[in-house]
Amino acid sequence: MTTVLMPEATIATTHTPPKKAKGGLSTTVVMTLVALLWISPLVLLIITAVRPLSDFVANGPLSWPSTFTFQNFADAWNIGNFATTYRNSLILLILKVPLGVFVSAMLAYALAKLRIRFGRTIMYTVFLGLTIPIYITIVPVFVMARSAGLTDSLIGLIGPYLAFGIPFEVLVLQSFFRQLPDEILEAARIDGAGAWRIFLTIVLPLSAPALVTVFILDAVATWNEFLFALILLNSDAHKTIPVGLLNFQGQFSNNNTGLAAGILIAVVPILIAYTFLQRWIVGGLTAGASKG
Amino acid sequence: MAVLTAPRKATRKKTRHGGLVAWGFALPALLVYAGFLVYPALSSLWFSFTDWDGLSAGYNVVGLDNYTALPSDPVVRQAALNNLIWAVVTVVAPVVLGLVLAVILNGKVRGKPVLRLIFYTPAVLPLVSVASIWGWLYNPEYGAINAALRAVGLDGLAQPWLGQDSTALGATMVAAIWLRVGFPMLLYLAALQGISADLYEAATVDGATRWQQFWHITMPGLKPAHYVVIALSVIDSFKVFDLIYAMTYGGPGTATQVMGTWMYFNVFQYNQAGYGTAIAVVITVVAIAVSIPYVRSQTKEHA
Repeated sequence: MTTVLMPEATIATTHTPPKKAKGGLSTTVVMTLVALLWISPLVLLIITAVRPLSDFVANGPLSWPSTFTFQNFADAWNIGNFATTYRNSLILLILKVPLGVFVSAMLAYALAKLRIRFGRTIMYTVFLGLTIPIYITIVPVFVMARSAGLTDSLIGLIGPYLAFGIPFEVLVLQSFFRQLPDEILEAARIDGAGAWRIFLTIVLPLSAPALVTVFILDAVATWNEFLFALILLNSDAHKTIPVGLLNFQGQFSNNNTGLAAGILIAVVPILIAYTFLQRWIVGGLTAGASKG
Repeated sequence: MAVLTAPRKATRKKTRHGGLVAWGFALPALLVYAGFLVYPALSSLWFSFTDWDGLSAGYNVVGLDNYTALPSDPVVRQAALNNLIWAVVTVVAPVVLGLVLAVILNGKVRGKPVLRLIFYTPAVLPLVSVASIWGWLYNPEYGAINAALRAVGLDGLAQPWLGQDSTALGATMVAAIWLRVGFPMLLYLAALQGISADLYEAATVDGATRWQQFWHITMPGLKPAHYVVIALSVIDSFKVFDLIYAMTYGGPGTATQVMGTWMYFNVFQYNQAGYGTAIAVVITVVAIAVSIPYVRSQTKEHA
């Protein structure tokens, strides 16, 4: 990232003094302040979560804590039923995400490399799914789940979650698959490999970066999904993190420090995952949204 | 509806791998997609022509009655207006702010990866938690926003942000902007890296100002990115539900109702499943109509 030399040289020849380096510094300062403001809700949340309620009430939300405590987290964890909601969200993630990525990859392979008939019609129909709001489907989905005896069950969420994940996953994966050189697949075919073998031993391994990205984005979406979980799950034993958090918010509306701790408990896994995996998230969003 | 040119093109080349094998790969995802997205969406269309309450076994077909009742429902009018405001504000503000951030971050700034990380962070949080965080910031008594206003002597501006009609919708949109700036920023950053530095150098030599360079080099260079960013932001804006539901529950009164939440309340609180689905159908049709050019462009590019 040191393309700094060229412009500097250009500027030196004109009458403007070497302003660029200074500009970089002031921009950095301004941007740091803006970024601090941007992240301040989360910072305040952390500060509030680690102080006693009495201290918060006495000194206000913007003060520095006079004492620190982790009691809020223990209280929030127990009252918010987070052990259960964490487990449920995790089970859903494990059941849904690998399956969704796999069937999406299969469809994407058929679209990108197998010259399926009506390929464009299929793509059009599937990509149209990107634009469909979830709420148009909740009444029939609820009716279907009820007649199958799958309301208040994590299993009942898997079908709708898969269906709403497929459009984006197929969009990203098929554009990646298209870039795989046909010669490699052709060579394998001449060696007698069938479509399945080519898919499993060549296409998927070569597409590992795209698969990882799609996997992460789908995991984030699954972890965060709210509306289907809201209408299909009603007992505390089956709630996921977003629905559990909403309940918790109602119960803790007068306990600001406990509420802050509860919100943090709900978002910390996703923040940690994001910090470590952001390279993949950024790459995937960019690839999925711009042309393949 | 469907693209009619596809079959014609198929004649160009017959490959051994088409046919049944291809369908074998395509079917699992297509069946799930058809069963849990296409079928329910069409099924909702059917329900919208009935007077079903959502609970009883039977219902009557009432034709377009639900649709003709929509315009005289004051909450529907409010919700439609709110959806429109929401679409304009939560598309324009994040796209403009995202572009500004991207241009700045693309220039000479230290700590770019950290800054980028920070600005995108809100986007990965569950919307319910974003609603909780902002609901807490907006708290009239103990919220940080009113505390900050009082701290700088603007006590008069401290108010129940989510509790009064005049500010509630604006307050929810601020939270939406907060979480949606990151996405355009990322896409613009990626697109900016595709614009050749030579263009800027040449312009600098020719004496073009920074401002001129922005309008004559940066903006035209970002044209494809503008298209994608705006299309995806618009699509997203029509889906608004979680944030409103968790932050204001459509209130106070019906001040922050949008079509999605008003649909939900009709179905699950007032037992008017037929009427509720009609609301959902209307907003979905608008969403699809607006998004079709984008969907078509994605299909074309890849075919």
